Amino acid sequence: MAFALLSGVCFANGASETTATPAAAKRSGPIELTFWHAMGGVNGEALVSMVNEFNKQNEGKIHVNYEYQGKYDDEFSKIQASGGKYPCDIIQVYDIGTRYMIDSGWIVPVQNYIKKDNYDISKIEPNIAAYYTVDNTLYSMPFNSSTPVLYYNKTAFKEAGIDKAPACFEDVFADAAKLKQVNADGSVKRYGFGMGNYGWFFEQWVGKMGKHYVNNNNGRGKDHATAVEFDSNGAGIQILNVWDKVLKEGIGPYLNMGNEDAKAAFISGNICITLESTAALKSLLTNVGDKFEIGVGYFPSINRNDVGGVSVGGGSLWMMNTGDQARMDATWEFLKFMISPEEQAFWNSKTGYFPVTVAAADTQTFKDNIAKYPQFQVAIDQLHSSAPQYAGALLSVFSESRQIVQNYIARLANKELDAQGTLDGMVKEINKAIDSYNLANY
Amino acid sequence: MNVLQRRKWQNIGRFALNIPLLLIILVPLLYTFAISVMPPDEIYENHLFPTSVNWANYILAFTNPAYHFLRMIFNSFLVSTSVMFAQMVTCSLAAFAFSFLEFKGKRVLFMCVLATMMVPGEVTIMANYLTIVDWGWLDSYKALIFPYMTSAMGIFLLRQYYLTFAKELYEAAKLDGCSNIRFLGSIVVPLSRPALGALGAYVFLNTWNQYMWPLLVTNNKNYRTVQIGISMLYDIDAESLGLMMAGVIIVIVPSLSIFVFMNKQLINGLMAGAVKG
Repeated sequence: MAFALLSGVCFANGASETTATPAAAKRSGPIELTFWHAMGGVNGEALVSMVNEFNKQNEGKIHVNYEYQGKYDDEFSKIQASGGKYPCDIIQVYDIGTRYMIDSGWIVPVQNYIKKDNYDISKIEPNIAAYYTVDNTLYSMPFNSSTPVLYYNKTAFKEAGIDKAPACFEDVFADAAKLKQVNADGSVKRYGFGMGNYGWFFEQWVGKMGKHYVNNNNGRGKDHATAVEFDSNGAGIQILNVWDKVLKEGIGPYLNMGNEDAKAAFISGNICITLESTAALKSLLTNVGDKFEIGVGYFPSINRNDVGGVSVGGGSLWMMNTGDQARMDATWEFLKFMISPEEQAFWNSKTGYFPVTVAAADTQTFKDNIAKYPQFQVAIDQLHSSAPQYAGALLSVFSESRQIVQNYIARLANKELDAQGTLDGMVKEINKAIDSYNLANY
Repeated sequence: MNVLQRRKWQNIGRFALNIPLLLIILVPLLYTFAISVMPPDEIYENHLFPTSVNWANYILAFTNPAYHFLRMIFNSFLVSTSVMFAQMVTCSLAAFAFSFLEFKGKRVLFMCVLATMMVPGEVTIMANYLTIVDWGWLDSYKALIFPYMTSAMGIFLLRQYYLTFAKELYEAAKLDGCSNIRFLGSIVVPLSRPALGALGAYVFLNTWNQYMWPLLVTNNKNYRTVQIGISMLYDIDAESLGLMMAGVIIVIVPSLSIFVFMNKQLINGLMAGAVKG
């Protein structure tokens, strides 16, 4: 916490004294670029092999050095801490860091290069690009994108005589009742439904209702968001009522913050329906093995008639304004490479993130992958059926906000607060965080 | 019952009590190892032991170009040992001054040193980072070692131990014309091996376990330490428990072995000076 606060202060200083590194007058050898990323595990391995491929193709001209900087939060703290000193040329930042990066003044919007290079922007999946577009400017290059989906235990569904995935929470409640199994002594053997206490879902449901999370056009207008809007537009209370019902009526157990426990419970067959990122499909399939069949459905809406859509999560690649034209040009080449159809098809097959480039669907790699994991098609359909106007909110204090939402839902689960009390509490704290950020930075 | 029999029964009782305790304490560690060699689909099936042993995770951690465990283990060793020796030297010097020497403001100065223990590391980390950046020390062993070359905790620990030494020892040495440095080197240090050993092991483990500081001041993979390596194995969207646990085992073995070797010193030493006799 202290760390986050301090880095906030540093940003305030850093933005005012932006010192650009002078362009090197003469260059020998390839242009060296530094790429900060936050991908670990299998995703990190895939990323590294893509960078190596780029280096091979551009031997003698451009060389990209990838540097792992910890998880999204750690990496983000680090770039905040380093102020305007530009320690890297390209940085991968998570979705909720977008507003902060735009405001920081450290970056070059990729739109500038799209214009200069006459790059065909329609190559990029529109619903993904929409998230990173503010005022018709695409700020960063979408790279690893995912949406939440519903995973269900198809085998258990068949046994219970359910033939399709639930579309809204009314369905979830009905299916969960059929799927729940109780031991002779009254203890629950298997729950029908279970989800982690993950603030991302909360944000998604607001969008799924077609409503805004924060004011000023969801933080995407000329003015910055100054307060949350999910209290006054009624989205918040509806979501919390559903959450409350799940816990109070024993429809699902409380599965702690984050998504690890929900995932583990789903894999071991203790819950039959869960919510997770599309990017988790691969690891779920590996871990479940032959125990049961996994089905994928659309992220369930709170009410049956909700009109909104899901927005993408994940991360994007930002070009830092290093002040060195040659290096920024080289960065653009690298970004173009990273979203080229072949690379995106490879990335998708290795990780489970969406291919952000439309043409990736025509590659053999993609076709093979979708034949192997037909469940992924549902995720793609869901993305296509959404609309750019539900791109989701932008907020400089999004990571804090997400944390606050989770803290209050934990208190709801503890029966410390009722749904209305939970809503009031989180709204007050998030607004306070927004106020103090705006006061310090604008 | 004679003495021998009683001792035997006491021993049996001691083992009967300790072995279950040992198992309880070791289970997480053994389970970690078990997960690291389990085939992936067994991990979530509540197996305590794997049905077949699979070393793929270890091979991946050591050979994939995305991770550099050998280099990271080397770095951690270098940094941890340097910090350990540096602290042994600086802390014993300071502790010597605070226990044997008499000078003006000694108490106040010592209080100042202790006061630094009250400041949590999170508060100073940013200031230290900015200093390191200004000096251009990013991506160097210096940045990892220098800020940790002394510690109030070490000074305090050794001072308490030195206070248990008879003052006469120092006076006698002085009368024979022994210099302070020589007294410290040939009398105090050899006699305080347990305390020094404890300090060493403690500092080594602490440095080995650092995450935030190494992450901040290094970018280049050639200077990265093991804890960052573990986090590299993790990804929020694509977690592979087996691989992560393999990483944990790789990282834990060196620190565990330090503990095994220095066990005696550590336990004796931490108690030393706790009660001034």
